Amino acid sequence: MVEPLLVVSGLAARIGRVPILAGVDLAVPARGIVALLGRNGVGKTTTLRTIMGVVEATAGSIRFADQDITRLQAHLRPGLGIGYVPQGRGIFPLLTVRENLYLGLRGPADPAIETHVFERFPRLAERLDQKAGTMSGGEQQMLAIARALMMRPRLLILDEPTEGVMPRLVNDIRREIAAIAASGIAVLLVEQNLRTALRLARHVVIMERGHTAFAGPPESLRADPDLAHRLLGVGAPT
Amino acid sequence: MLANLATLALNGLAWGLIVALIALGLSIIFGLLDVINVAHGDLFMVGGVLAWTAVETTGSFAAALVVVPLLGMALGLATERFAIRPILRNPALTIVSTFGLSLILQEAVRATFGPAPRRLMAPLPGTLPVFGTNYEIYRLAAAVAAALALAAFFLFQQRTRFGTWMRAVRHDRETALTLGIPVARVQLLTFALGAALALLGGVIAAPITTVDFRAGVEILPACFMAVVIGGLGNLPGTAAAAVLLAVTEGVVSGLSDPTAARITSLCLMSAVLLLRPQGLFAGAAR
Repeated sequence: MVEPLLVVSGLAARIGRVPILAGVDLAVPARGIVALLGRNGVGKTTTLRTIMGVVEATAGSIRFADQDITRLQAHLRPGLGIGYVPQGRGIFPLLTVRENLYLGLRGPADPAIETHVFERFPRLAERLDQKAGTMSGGEQQMLAIARALMMRPRLLILDEPTEGVMPRLVNDIRREIAAIAASGIAVLLVEQNLRTALRLARHVVIMERGHTAFAGPPESLRADPDLAHRLLGVGAPT
Repeated sequence: MLANLATLALNGLAWGLIVALIALGLSIIFGLLDVINVAHGDLFMVGGVLAWTAVETTGSFAAALVVVPLLGMALGLATERFAIRPILRNPALTIVSTFGLSLILQEAVRATFGPAPRRLMAPLPGTLPVFGTNYEIYRLAAAVAAALALAAFFLFQQRTRFGTWMRAVRHDRETALTLGIPVARVQLLTFALGAALALLGGVIAAPITTVDFRAGVEILPACFMAVVIGGLGNLPGTAAAAVLLAVTEGVVSGLSDPTAARITSLCLMSAVLLLRPQGLFAGAAR
C-alpha cells in the first residue's frame, strides 16, 4: 500500500463567522486523479483554499508528503510541491504571459521543465510578451496550468478548470489534465461535469454540506445511481 | 503676462512632480495594504525636517538626499510592523491608527524642532533665463530629481522580481500567496517604500517651501486628489494627475488667486468622481 501524498482529516474551517467545513476527509495518492465533487456551495473550493492555507483550518489536519502542514504559512506550501489553479484561473491580467509564468519561481526556471511546458502549451511560447488579460479564457486556463507546472509540483490542485472555457477548448484541457496525471503528478480535481470527472478520476470524493459524504472508486457511483442522485442531484453517467 | 503664466506653469510642474512622488507612496500603500495612510503627509513633513537637520549638521544636501529616504524606510518598516500589521484586517482601524501616528509625528516635531517655520537654502543657487524670466535653478533641479525618482520607481516595478510581486499582490493577494509569494513581506516593504518616497519628496521640496510641522496637513489633500483623479491603484495615472492638478492650480493662481485654484482642483475631482469614478486615467498600464 502506497502512502497517500495528501491526507486531509476531519478538516473544519469558517469564513468570517460562518462555518463552511465540518469534517472533510480525503486522501490523494502520489499518482492518479482524485475528483472532489458536490453540489454548489457544499465547500469544495473552501476545502482547496484551506489546503493551500489561504483559509485557516479551525480543526482537523492536513498532511502533505508525511509533513503536517495544517499551520504552515500559506506562501510556504507551494514550495513543498503543491501547485494550485484556482477557480476563475487566477491570472494576473496586467502582467505579461512571461511574468505570470515565472511568478512563482524563486530562482531561474528548470530548462527541462520550461521546454516541457512550452511543448505542451505552444501558444504560450508565442505570446510571452503579451498581457495575459488579452488572451481568451481557454488560453488563460492553459496559462494558469502552465504556471503551476513551472513550479514542478508533486500535487496539482485544479478548481473547475473547464468553467467558462469555450466548448472546443474543454476537451483540450481535459486531455492536458490526463497527460499531467500520466506524467506522474498527482491531481486533485474539482469538476462540475460529472461525466468528465468520473472518466478521468481513479477515486471520487463527494462532499455534502461541508463534510465528506462519500469516498470511493467511480465504479461505486456508477453502480449506485441513487447515491449519485442523492449527493449530486444527477444520475451517474454510465 | 505670458512669461508670468509660463513661470507659474513651470512652478506647477516642479511641484506636481514632487506631489506625484508622495501620492505614489500613498497609492502603493493603499493598493497593496488597503490602508488609507492619513499620516502620509506627515512623513513628507518629517522628510523636510530631517533634510533641514542633516544640512545643519553635515552641511551637505546630498547627504540628506541619501540618508533621509533610508530613515524613511526604517520608519515605514516600524510603522507597518507595529501600527498597521496588528490591525490590517480592519481598514477602519488603520485610519484611526495612522491618524494617531500623524498626531504623534506632528507633536514630536513641534516638541523637538520647534513650532516656527524654517527655510532651507537652495543647494543650487542662482537663476536661468526661461521664457524671458529668470527661473530658479533649484526648482528645475527639483523637477528633474522628482522625475528621475518616479522613473526609477516605475523601472523598479517593471523590471525587478519584487516589483512584479508588488503588481501581483496589488491585483490578487490570495492567488499571489498560492504561488508562494511572501505577501506579508511584500506589504511590509511596500509600506516602507511608500514612506521612503514621502520622505524623499520632503527632502526635495524643503528648499522650495517652508519646513514646518504642519506641512503634511497642507500637502495631504493634494495627494488624495491625485490618487482619486488618477484612479485608485493606478500609479502612472496618479503621477499624471498630480502634475495636471499642480499645473492647473499654478496657472489658475496666476490668473486669479490660490483659493480659486484649489476650488478648481476640487471641482475637477468632483467631476471625475461623478463622470469617471474609476479615475481619469483608468485603462492605462498599471
